[in-house]
Amino acid sequence: MRQGFRQSMAWLHAWSGLVVGWVLFCVFVTGTASYYRTEISQWMRPELAETASDPARSADLAAAYLQRAMPDATGWYIELPKPEKPLIGVMWWKSLEGPFHQALLDPATGTPTKARDTRGGDFLYRFHFELGMPPLWGRWIVGTCALVMLVALVSGIVTHRRIFADFFTFRRRRSQRGWLDAHNVFGVLALPFHLMITYTGLVTLAPMYMPWGVVSAYKGDEMRFYVDSGLMPELRAPSGKPGTLAPLSGMVAQGIAARGEAPEGVSVFNPADATPSVLAVFEEPHGLAHEHPQIAFDGATGAMLGSNGATRAAAKTSTVMLGLHEGHFAGAALRVLFFLCGVMGAATVATGLVLWAVARAPQGAEAEGFGLRLVRTLNVGTIVGLPAGIAAYFLANRLLPLDLAARADWEVGTFFGAWALVAVAGALRPAESVWREGLGLVGGLFLAVPVVGALTTGLHPLAGETRFLGFDAAMIALGILLGLAARKAGQARLRPALRADAGITGGEALRA
Amino acid sequence: MAPQKVARRRPAYRLAVVGRIVLAVAGGYAVAALLTALLSLTLPLVRSEAVATATLLSFAVMVAVVIYVFAAPTLGRAALTVAGLAAVLGGGLWLAGGFAAVGAA
Amino acid sequence: MTAIVVGLNLALCFAGLSALALSLDRHHRDAFLVRPGAARARTLRIAGWSGIGLSFVAAVALEGWNFGPVQWIGALTGAALLVVAFLSYRPGWLRPAALLALPIALVALPLALNG
Repeated sequence: MRQGFRQSMAWLHAWSGLVVGWVLFCVFVTGTASYYRTEISQWMRPELAETASDPARSADLAAAYLQRAMPDATGWYIELPKPEKPLIGVMWWKSLEGPFHQALLDPATGTPTKARDTRGGDFLYRFHFELGMPPLWGRWIVGTCALVMLVALVSGIVTHRRIFADFFTFRRRRSQRGWLDAHNVFGVLALPFHLMITYTGLVTLAPMYMPWGVVSAYKGDEMRFYVDSGLMPELRAPSGKPGTLAPLSGMVAQGIAARGEAPEGVSVFNPADATPSVLAVFEEPHGLAHEHPQIAFDGATGAMLGSNGATRAAAKTSTVMLGLHEGHFAGAALRVLFFLCGVMGAATVATGLVLWAVARAPQGAEAEGFGLRLVRTLNVGTIVGLPAGIAAYFLANRLLPLDLAARADWEVGTFFGAWALVAVAGALRPAESVWREGLGLVGGLFLAVPVVGALTTGLHPLAGETRFLGFDAAMIALGILLGLAARKAGQARLRPALRADAGITGGEALRA
Repeated sequence: MAPQKVARRRPAYRLAVVGRIVLAVAGGYAVAALLTALLSLTLPLVRSEAVATATLLSFAVMVAVVIYVFAAPTLGRAALTVAGLAAVLGGGLWLAGGFAAVGAA
Repeated sequence: MTAIVVGLNLALCFAGLSALALSLDRHHRDAFLVRPGAARARTLRIAGWSGIGLSFVAAVALEGWNFGPVQWIGALTGAALLVVAFLSYRPGWLRPAALLALPIALVALPLALNG
């Protein structure tokens, strides 16, 4: 929208980054937390100790529960228990359009678990791509924002082409220059990660965003496409006549005999039909690709039908992209680096949002316009509000009464409630102190999490409980980091910002 | 700076911005979708591989179109180019029998 | 052991990136108060790229073509963040820290080969 390629790219970078920045910040923060989804879930169900359970028996218990829950369901998914999650997860539905029902069962009894009712890390994981909205809405919004993020990355590289020369430069003492440097440092150092995570994120939901290849070449038959790609074995169509499902334990046992390990989950298609299909899904073998080996069974007889084929180059590329996005392959050390990169992504977005407002701050006696005030309010509401919501979600997990009806919904309600409260409070506080107060508050909330956790459950290192050391350490580190940021925000206000900074080179690129 | 600011508040400028956004979103998606459908039918690969390749490329195509729409000197030029591209791809898809497939589905 | 390979990569990348940063006028001045001479800057650049190259070779040799590059990029990002942190807060410590990273890498290498 400006003369010249670089100028128009600078304009595009500033405005495209702004309009999706708030959503992207949420996507980055909750996605980064999802690298530790299992650990978060473990912390949120402290009464469950790691135990091994019998996968075959668990499958039968789940089937019995599901047949009672909805005799005419058209599909089930059973997540078999693992030592780190000793629960049977069941999901069932009458139509693929939804609604999808779910429950967590005790592998010893097959009845709903006595562990506290919570959505655990799964809530943050789903929020990462659905934003707590109806799935279709959330996914389209996140996908649109991811595409704009790609546009912002490409235009950002063009705009700040000097960033590679300024690779290590962070002039933290200058206000606007400091924000620009911080934005560059976080953006450039983790640029391979940012490009990878954004593109692979789009690929993860490509069947939904870009179905037109399947529509034209497969006449919309998605199943056929997956079978041809080697991502799924061939299944049988429902007959329309009622029938009975053979015991799942026999099929799970056959799966264990064939692959030498228990499946991580079992899908059942048309369980009440005369020709049901059962799919045993195994964990991905060690590798970058996200490819689950699968074995299909005739659900009426329990006979093995076949397994999925090998993937060819393009399908393999897709599954490697999925694998890179999820990072399941990463061991503890590499996972820390992925986590760090995710934090840098969130920081890139946050510093970009703040920079947008700082670069347009009114000069002298000029009054602040409505647009700028809106942006600043949304910045505080998102960058401070979301972490406050997450800390409150963890605190609610420990503080809400265990026998509260719909307890998991209350936890989620606390997440949104705390977020809204902080956002509204942030809008009312003066601009000079809002960042210091807000960041300080969130830091305090995170520091409170391990304390409240220890006090309410009696589980802490002094009592010999070491399971949550990592989680507690992460909360304390977050609390301290946010506290430091709050102090920093306070100091920046004491030293009057040098107006000369606004005129430095690069300011033009920002304002363009 | 000052004359620029005034220019930016003019309705014509705002309308042009809105036009580019609409063109980037609708045109970008249309070109990406048409190219994906066309390549899925015409790439000399196994059918599932052609679909996977085309789908993987689609997001890069859309990003390229969006960047072009905002970099083009005028909105009219951008609209003509995108419309031309979409027409060529649509014609190719029609020749490849892509619309028959959708009709049957 | 992947953790040790990540450590080895971090140490090599950190030493290499530190040398590269110090080969630039601005950061050499931050750390040593003077600009580097042409010869010194060239030596630092060569040392820097060698460290980064070496860590790539180590990553691929120890982790294979699948995981190696992924791990290497991750380590490069982490190490670069560390270099920026040193330059911003304690520029004088960058050289000793980079020199300290080398023996760490030397210790990690046999551990990684045995693991």
